[in-house]
Amino acid sequence: MPDGAEPVLDVRGLKTVFRTRGGEVHAVNSVSFDLRPGELLGVVGESGSGKSVTMMSLIGLLPSPPADVRGGSVMFDGTDLLKCSEDHLRSVRGARIGFIFQDPMTSLNPVFTVGFQIMEPLRKHMGLDKRAARVRARELLDLVGIPDAGRRLDDYPHQFSGGMRQRVMIAIALACDPKVLIADEPTTALDVTIQAQILELVRELRQKLGMAIVWITHDLGVIAGIADRVMVMYGGQVVEQAPVKELFANPRHPYTRALLKTVPTVRGERAAKLNVIEGQPPILKAEPAACAFRGRCGHAMPRCERENPARRPVGPGHDVACFWDPGTEDWQDG
Amino acid sequence: MLDRADTPRRKLVEVRGLKMYFPVTAGVLRRKVGDVKALDDISFDIYEGETLGLVGESGCGKSTCGRVILRLYDPTAGSIRIDGVDIGAADAQTLRPLRPAMQMVFQDPQASLNPRMTVAGIIGEPLDEHTQMSKAEKLDRIYELMDAVGLNRNFANRYPHEFSGGQRQRIGIARALALNPKFIVCDEPIAALDVSIQAQVVNLLEDLQDRLGLTYLFISHDLSMVRHIADRVAVMYLGRIAELAPRDALYDRPMHPYTQALLSAVPEPDPEIETARKRIILTGDVPSPANPPKGCNFCTRCPRVMDICQSVKPALREIEPGRFVACHLYETTAAAGSTGAPEDHERNQQGATQ
Repeated sequence: MPDGAEPVLDVRGLKTVFRTRGGEVHAVNSVSFDLRPGELLGVVGESGSGKSVTMMSLIGLLPSPPADVRGGSVMFDGTDLLKCSEDHLRSVRGARIGFIFQDPMTSLNPVFTVGFQIMEPLRKHMGLDKRAARVRARELLDLVGIPDAGRRLDDYPHQFSGGMRQRVMIAIALACDPKVLIADEPTTALDVTIQAQILELVRELRQKLGMAIVWITHDLGVIAGIADRVMVMYGGQVVEQAPVKELFANPRHPYTRALLKTVPTVRGERAAKLNVIEGQPPILKAEPAACAFRGRCGHAMPRCERENPARRPVGPGHDVACFWDPGTEDWQDG
Repeated sequence: MLDRADTPRRKLVEVRGLKMYFPVTAGVLRRKVGDVKALDDISFDIYEGETLGLVGESGCGKSTCGRVILRLYDPTAGSIRIDGVDIGAADAQTLRPLRPAMQMVFQDPQASLNPRMTVAGIIGEPLDEHTQMSKAEKLDRIYELMDAVGLNRNFANRYPHEFSGGQRQRIGIARALALNPKFIVCDEPIAALDVSIQAQVVNLLEDLQDRLGLTYLFISHDLSMVRHIADRVAVMYLGRIAELAPRDALYDRPMHPYTQALLSAVPEPDPEIETARKRIILTGDVPSPANPPKGCNFCTRCPRVMDICQSVKPALREIEPGRFVACHLYETTAAAGSTGAPEDHERNQQGATQ
C-alpha cells in the first residue's frame, strides 16, 4: 500500500458510551485509525470488543439514546462526520460509504423486491430515473455474480439463498460506487464453501473497483487471506495494529499472541492441547484507567494496574498498546 | 487416543440405514405433497470412548442425525443400537430407563436453559426424574458436578442470565453429566461462543472424556475444531454421509471431492500460506433436500462429476481399512448399481488399493 497517500478516512480519539439502567458502558474508548485509498483494513476482536460499535458510530448509525458518541473526529472527504448535519450524513451513508452487515436476511427488507432495494440508493443518491436505475441494478447483480440477473431483479429476498442474499447486499453497498466500504462480519453467517465464494468475489471486486474496505471479523483465517493491514481490538480499544504479514509473523500484544495460539487449523501440525485464554472479556463501566487485558494476561505487571498503556510504534506501520516488551523471545513458545 | 486403535474396540453406537423424512404439506387440508429427506440412509458406528466428529454445512442433516440417534425424533426407517439395545423403534416406556445413558449438549446455552430455574434446579432436574436421591445427596451431587465443569459452587442459586455464554455452556454440560451417561451428543456446543471461550469449553469436554470414559458424537460446522477433538470424522452432504475416516487420514488426504472442497474452503490463519494457496471454489448452492438431484447428491456442484453420477447414487464403501467413501471415483467394480444401504456385507476390504 502506498504509505504517503492521503487517508480516505481518518478517525481520531473516537469515544462511544451507552447509557443503560445499570450505568454507563464505555464501548469505544479513544479509538484512532486511518484508512488509505484502496486498502483493506481488517478489524479483529471478540464480541463486545467494540469493533462494530466503532464503525456504526463513525457513520451515525447508532440510536441515541442509549448511544452517545462523546468525542473524537472522523474526517472523510474534508468533513468531520461527527460534526456535520444529519442531511450531509445521509448523503454520505449508502453513497460514498457503503455498508454490508452480517446477516443478509435481516438487513434486506422482505416485502420489497431485490431490484427495488438496489435501485433505491441509485435513485436517491445518484438521481437516476427508474429505467436507468434498473439497467444499473442489473449490471450490479451481474457484477456480484448472480446468474440470470435480469429476471432475478423481480424476486424477493426469501427466494435467494444465504450466499446469494449476501451478494445482493454487496450489490446494494456498491451501487453508488463508494470510496469506502464497511463490511461487518459479512461471511460469519455463511457456510464455509459459500464464504470461500464471497471472499473470492471480494478479491475480484477490489481489483476491478479499487475502493477502500474495512472488514470486521473474528475469524483470523479470513483476515489472513484478505487484509492488507490489521487492527486488533480489545475492551473498546485498539491494542495492536500492523501490516497483515507482520502481525501474524511478529505479534506483540499478549492478547494477539494468545488469540493466534488458540485457533486450531485444518492444515499442518495438529496441537495436542488447545491453548486457552482464561477468564472473560471485561465490561467497561468506566473509562479504562488500567490495561483492559491485565486480568487475563500472562505478562501483567504492577504498572498495568496503574496506567492504561498508550499505543507506541514498534516497527514500520506496527504499533501496540502494551508495556511489555517481548525482546528476542520467539512468540510461538513465549 | 489413537493408540487404542490396535486393541479390539467395542461398538457403543451402531446406526444402520437410518432415514428421517419430514413431511412437506400444502393447502388448507395440510395434504402431504412430499418429503424433506433430512437423513437418507446413513450408517455408521461409534466406538466406546471415542469422539466421532460429524461435519457438514447448514441443512445437511447433521443436527437431525444427533437428535434421531437419541430418539428425540422418531426415525422413518433404520436401526439405532446403543450399547446393544435397538432403540430405533422402541416405545417411550422402554426408552425412559435407557435415557440416563445417553445425553445431549445443545448449541445455544441461552435457549436450552430454563431462565426461571436456578443452576442447582437445572442440574438437579435429571436427578429428580431418574433417581431417588435425598435432598442432601442431590445437593452433594450438584456441587460435585459444578466442580467437575469448573463452576463456582457459590453460584448454585443463581439464574442462567447471570452467567456468560461460556459458563452457561458449562451448566448445560453439567446437566448432561448428572446421570453418569455413557454417550453424549454435542450439537454445535461451541458455535455460539467466542474464539477464546471455545477453547475453554473444548478442553473441558476433552478432560471429562478422559476422566469419565465418555463417548461423544461431536456435531459441528467448524472443521478446524473437529480436527482437534475428534478421533474419526464423518462428512455429511444433503442427508447422506459422503466420507467417514480416521481424523488424520481425512485431513491429510481427503478423498471425496466434497471433503476436498470443504477443507479447501477453510481459510488458514497465516497470510503467507493464504496468499499462495490454491483453492477449490464450488459453484452454486446446496440443492433443497426436498428435491435432491437424481444420482449422487453432490453431482450438481462436483468438480469431478461423471456421467454415472447423474443417475446412480454411490454407496458408502470401505475403500481402505476404516475409510469409507461414497463416490463413483473410487469404485473398482464397473457395475456399481447398488443404491441400497451400506450393509455389513459391503464393508469388506474390496477396493483397498485406491
